[in-house]
Amino acid sequence: MHDTILDIEDFGFTYHGAAESSLTGISAQVRCGEFVCLTGDSGCGKSTLLLGIMGLLRGGRGVGTIRVTPSDVDDRAPAAGIVFQTAESQILCSTVAEEVAFGPENLCVPADEIALRVREGLASVGLTGEERRSVERFSAGQKQRLAVASVLAMRPGLLLLDEPTSQLDVQGKEELVAVFTELKRRGHTIVMAEHDPRPFEALVDRYLKLERGRLVGSDRVPPDPVRYRPKAFLLPYSSTLYGTRPVLDVQGLDLSYPETGEVLKKAQLRVSRGERVHLFGCNGAGKSSLLRCLAGLIRPDAGRIWVAGKESPGPGDLRGQVGVLFQNPARQLFAETVREEVAFALQRLAYPVEEVDRVVAEALSFCGIAHLADRAPLTLSFGEQHRVALAAVVAPRPTLLLLDEPFAGLDFPQRLSLLALLARMPIRYGTTVLIVSHDELPDRRWADRSLRLQGGEIAETAP
Amino acid sequence: MQKRLPKFRSSLRSCDYACQFATNDSPVHRLGAGWKLLFGMVLSALAAGGRNPVTLSVLVAAALAYYLAARLTLADLWRDVRLFAYQAALVIPLYCLIDGVEKGLWPGVRISTQIVLFYLPGAVFLRTTRTSEAMAGLRRIIPYRLSFLVFVSVRFVPVFFSELEDIVALQRMRGARLSPREQLDPRNWPDLFNCLVLPLMVRALKTADEVSRSAEARGFGLYPQRTYLDTSRLAPGAPEGGARETEGQQRPLSAGNF
Repeated sequence: MHDTILDIEDFGFTYHGAAESSLTGISAQVRCGEFVCLTGDSGCGKSTLLLGIMGLLRGGRGVGTIRVTPSDVDDRAPAAGIVFQTAESQILCSTVAEEVAFGPENLCVPADEIALRVREGLASVGLTGEERRSVERFSAGQKQRLAVASVLAMRPGLLLLDEPTSQLDVQGKEELVAVFTELKRRGHTIVMAEHDPRPFEALVDRYLKLERGRLVGSDRVPPDPVRYRPKAFLLPYSSTLYGTRPVLDVQGLDLSYPETGEVLKKAQLRVSRGERVHLFGCNGAGKSSLLRCLAGLIRPDAGRIWVAGKESPGPGDLRGQVGVLFQNPARQLFAETVREEVAFALQRLAYPVEEVDRVVAEALSFCGIAHLADRAPLTLSFGEQHRVALAAVVAPRPTLLLLDEPFAGLDFPQRLSLLALLARMPIRYGTTVLIVSHDELPDRRWADRSLRLQGGEIAETAP
Repeated sequence: MQKRLPKFRSSLRSCDYACQFATNDSPVHRLGAGWKLLFGMVLSALAAGGRNPVTLSVLVAAALAYYLAARLTLADLWRDVRLFAYQAALVIPLYCLIDGVEKGLWPGVRISTQIVLFYLPGAVFLRTTRTSEAMAGLRRIIPYRLSFLVFVSVRFVPVFFSELEDIVALQRMRGARLSPREQLDPRNWPDLFNCLVLPLMVRALKTADEVSRSAEARGFGLYPQRTYLDTSRLAPGAPEGGARETEGQQRPLSAGNF
């Protein structure tokens, strides 16, 4: 049971065109039945190492060796299987059964055995009876479990997981922990890349800590949590500072979808100028739908919305007044330099040229990316692109800033840094900030008001 | 205080996008993919050839019966054909403008109806056929790698429509001139490329990379042929698989084998 299944020897990798190596001198071994967690901040090389183990690194230059012992029981089984971070682009078929069957089909498993593997794979992740359902109707947690089932159906000797909980709410995380507990009990060997391994502490046998592409530690105890020092600028909201006029007023909002039914039921929300509000809700609770209603992307079935003094505005009516940052902000970047990206909205709002330069410089400095001003936005890291997108929406000093899952894909220090930036928005620009997320805030003190969206209704939560 | 929007608005949100696969069961769902293709081609060919009001009325009735036999609703129908309604709103007045109302009305109506009738069987096919069924049919004609490419592209069409909507909204809030009215002015066309097409292309390339990596990680393309799931074996009472075909070669199957 203690045979080595994974042996990495002095492995290094440099991506094509990159100045520095993403991984250098990695040596490690994983034994059968072990649950190993790769930890480290974003960009430290966790995902690259997993891709290297899978043999999926394209281009670039690799050194050293990675050996994965293939299964000696099933000659068709792959040595390793991987569950990627984003279930959305990993799911290739339209129904649950087809998705789980996809791997065994490629391995030329006999047709009638595939059906058995589908049933067993789904049973392993608690999705029995869902075979014929459309994957599009699944919640994020269900999609992630489906992705695990689709890899398990291939019976890999080694299961690799890349940030499996990054898109999941508390319940989704608990479900996934239960799945992995059962898999570990059955003797599966698992290597998981995760920057926040806290939900899996009871399962993990060993932590391998990566820092800037190097393995800096192998330990049985989890790494220390990031300490956070209280910030003096976390001043509470005061109506005397900003007045009592609401920036956002939602009354009796109804919204429904097919199959899922009513998402919002007579939802009420009133946010005053300068407030910092956190709206929390589970996956599928309707948070993003609410935000899309506020941004004028979806027309609700009933109810009224006032945003920045405009009733039921469309996206074109909110230029410069409302800034929106959806998940994966990189998709709104297009300019050749960061400076041009940030200047775009100001130019469209007809700011004088000298004013544009001044405001852009201020926004870049505010977001801590002044040193990136002449870089191409699309060549930056995820965290840097996040800041560029934020600088682009805060530059016109919007009255209201709406952020949908702004912490997705960021590690803990990056999350804290973003939160600190957002904390300064009301004081600096008088901007109201509404964060919508499925997770708790990295620091709960940030919010003047915390709300919960549940059962289609918005309710205040205790501080 | 509250202004209720007309009730029919919520019923129109019966599916997420046009031609979305409906997981319900119906006689049309149970029909083989090949038969549906054949029946659809016949209906489309008749629609293309239909010239007089009686023939077209019969074809409309037949197409509607086919659509409703798939247990699809009128709301679904509206989702599927609403773009053609806009087209009809353009085509019919144009015919009237060119030939006068008396001469131009009927050809305008006929052409618009023919287009919808030509397209509708295809919509029924997409709404009632699983990817695997369609792939099973296609793989007899083209290599499975190519058929997979076709269907994975179809699978991601709604994802990109959703992306497109989001990007348009985000960029319009930043001042991009992307509304249909603004796009009538050629001076605003650079915005279409810079603010919409470029980010969408970047997103598409990234998604394509992730999809191909996911397919490769699951053994796609490993062998020149592949096997296919027999969905009839998925029913709870279906016999356990593997015994007959793989006797003597397979180990006993259990959850512990994973």
